[in-house]
Amino acid sequence: MYGLLWDAIVNLVQLKYLLPLVIGTVAGVVGGALPGVTITMTVIIVLPFTFGLDPLQGLAAMTGVYVGGSAGGLVTATLLGIPGTPSSVATTFDGFPMAKRGEAGRAMWLGVWGSLFGGMIGGVFLIAATGPLAEFAVAFGPWEFFSLFVLALSMVAGLVGHSLLKGFLSGAIGLVVTVLGNDPVMGQPRLTLGIEFLEGGVPFLPVLIGVFAFAQIMSDVEKMGRGVRLRESLDRAITLSVSHGKVVWEIVSRPFLLLWTSFIGVLIGVLPAVGGSAANMMAYDQAKKFSRHPERFGTGTPEGIIASESANNANVGGSLVTIMAFGIPGDAVTAVMLGALTIHGIQSGPLFISQNTQVAYGIFAAYLLAHPIMALVIAFGARFMLRVVTVPKAALFPVVLVLCVVGAYALGNNMSTVYVLLIFGLLGYAMVKVDLPLAPLILGVILGDQIETNLIRALMTDGDLWLFVTRPISGGLLAASALSVGFALWQHRRQHGRGEAGEDAQDF
Amino acid sequence: MIGRDGVTGLVACATSLVLFWLTLGLEKNPLVPIGPGFYPRLVLGITAALGFALLVVDVLRRRARPTDARAAPAVRPNYALVALTFAAFGAYVLLLPLLGYRVATFLFVLGGSFLLEPPRGAGLWLRGPLLALATTLATYFIFEDYLAVLLPRGSWTGF
Repeated sequence: MYGLLWDAIVNLVQLKYLLPLVIGTVAGVVGGALPGVTITMTVIIVLPFTFGLDPLQGLAAMTGVYVGGSAGGLVTATLLGIPGTPSSVATTFDGFPMAKRGEAGRAMWLGVWGSLFGGMIGGVFLIAATGPLAEFAVAFGPWEFFSLFVLALSMVAGLVGHSLLKGFLSGAIGLVVTVLGNDPVMGQPRLTLGIEFLEGGVPFLPVLIGVFAFAQIMSDVEKMGRGVRLRESLDRAITLSVSHGKVVWEIVSRPFLLLWTSFIGVLIGVLPAVGGSAANMMAYDQAKKFSRHPERFGTGTPEGIIASESANNANVGGSLVTIMAFGIPGDAVTAVMLGALTIHGIQSGPLFISQNTQVAYGIFAAYLLAHPIMALVIAFGARFMLRVVTVPKAALFPVVLVLCVVGAYALGNNMSTVYVLLIFGLLGYAMVKVDLPLAPLILGVILGDQIETNLIRALMTDGDLWLFVTRPISGGLLAASALSVGFALWQHRRQHGRGEAGEDAQDF
Repeated sequence: MIGRDGVTGLVACATSLVLFWLTLGLEKNPLVPIGPGFYPRLVLGITAALGFALLVVDVLRRRARPTDARAAPAVRPNYALVALTFAAFGAYVLLLPLLGYRVATFLFVLGGSFLLEPPRGAGLWLRGPLLALATTLATYFIFEDYLAVLLPRGSWTGF
């Protein structure tokens, strides 16, 4: 395994792979630093540029975006007090107060080094766990795969959003999208509604691009022309120089904090669709609970920055495990990566590592190399990024929308995928307005065909429905689904009791 | 009176039931006795039930707290601008095969940037065309020359 990893690292430092990795990391850091531009949107923008590349080049670029984006948010979080991405929200709690008292360099570099160490711990888990988990999943039959996908969908539906019912409805709408077009078992047309391009089904990448890009952009457009300030001012007197030895010591002298918060990040990453936004908040909360001085949190304590940033980068490693071992995207970014794999004719899932060893180890190598590259990008580009933040959104959004169109068009070199993008852009925005979470919809669209194929295969092998429950792994996975739904119900009720969940009802 | 959630549930339920009805006409395949309609009916049935449940929950909640309403947002959303942006994007998508990528993209970026921030000064009047030109040329050359993506040509312009 380590021989393969070393070979992959040596392979990846060739210019033809290193260049896409560096460009992807730069794009990720800049996209992460821009408030309102999420990592998902950055990876959507980068996606069309990878179509003409070989699979490893494209995936190296996307891995760079993911790692860079997870860290990029800390720059604006610490220096401006505005989290560039949801995964750096907790970084602002202590990063910005520390910067305000004249320690901007220390605040930013605690975040950068925390991201790097947390990411590397996530990398160890990624490399060590992916192979064994994939080997375990190879033994799965259609019953187990069906139950695994049901578990993923029920976890996502239960854990995101304010309402369990809406989470499930969103996931079910995603599944409905996949029943349009030919059935995946015999290729018989169904529910095409007389529309020719629906015969091939609805491709998930334009759905994903449309739903996420429009939901994000239109939510910002809503605020334009209403006196909301979308440009941030830059303090040009800020100094970012720091003693790196001291900053690194501040982190490694707290080994329990680093390991525990990184572990939380990995664990959250493995769970489908929970993501870095939950990881950094949960890690911050844990760091505060375990601290001898919890009262210092929120005033500029280094523990808060280390916890948040190590967790959100370790989360990337966990998320990649889920997609590489099971073919289930951990979040929207890995969903786009799954789409990139499909475009290059690579089937994700348990056989991915054994059938595409070079690509799989290439992703590991890209992940490991992206972290020091990210640190270098921030070291040389932090001031530039603060200027990028001032780019007006009126100029940014039309360009992003053009890239979304090119990305959708390039999938099949025809307009039908662009029409899908437009339709699902409208649907995505409508879903945001009625408070339906987007993640279950996307997971439903991605897993729908596989759920159907495995269900039909299982029933054709043996019509006994009890096998889904009595086969140990399948039964265990279904029990876990039921538990996750029960947990989500309990959590929603508790939040409702505390009055945390917002009231959803609104007259039409 | 039903609220936003009720309308969402009603739309989901009604759409699912219509699609469910359409699956009843699907012919069974002798090789797959379960038939192509089995799974869609299962999924559509679940979706209809969830939509109906959302409608019922909304109605019951409104009966329990009839005066309940969501707090007004601090800033009233600019839905007119959202509608215009969607319209501009829709026009761009429709005009792409007619005007071709280069002309349609130039017009969309120019119009989009002016729509989102109306020009009030020489700087903004200059920014729009420059941004539109740079975006069109950069994306065209990168995708056509380096990434082998043949972007749409216009049936009206031949360009």
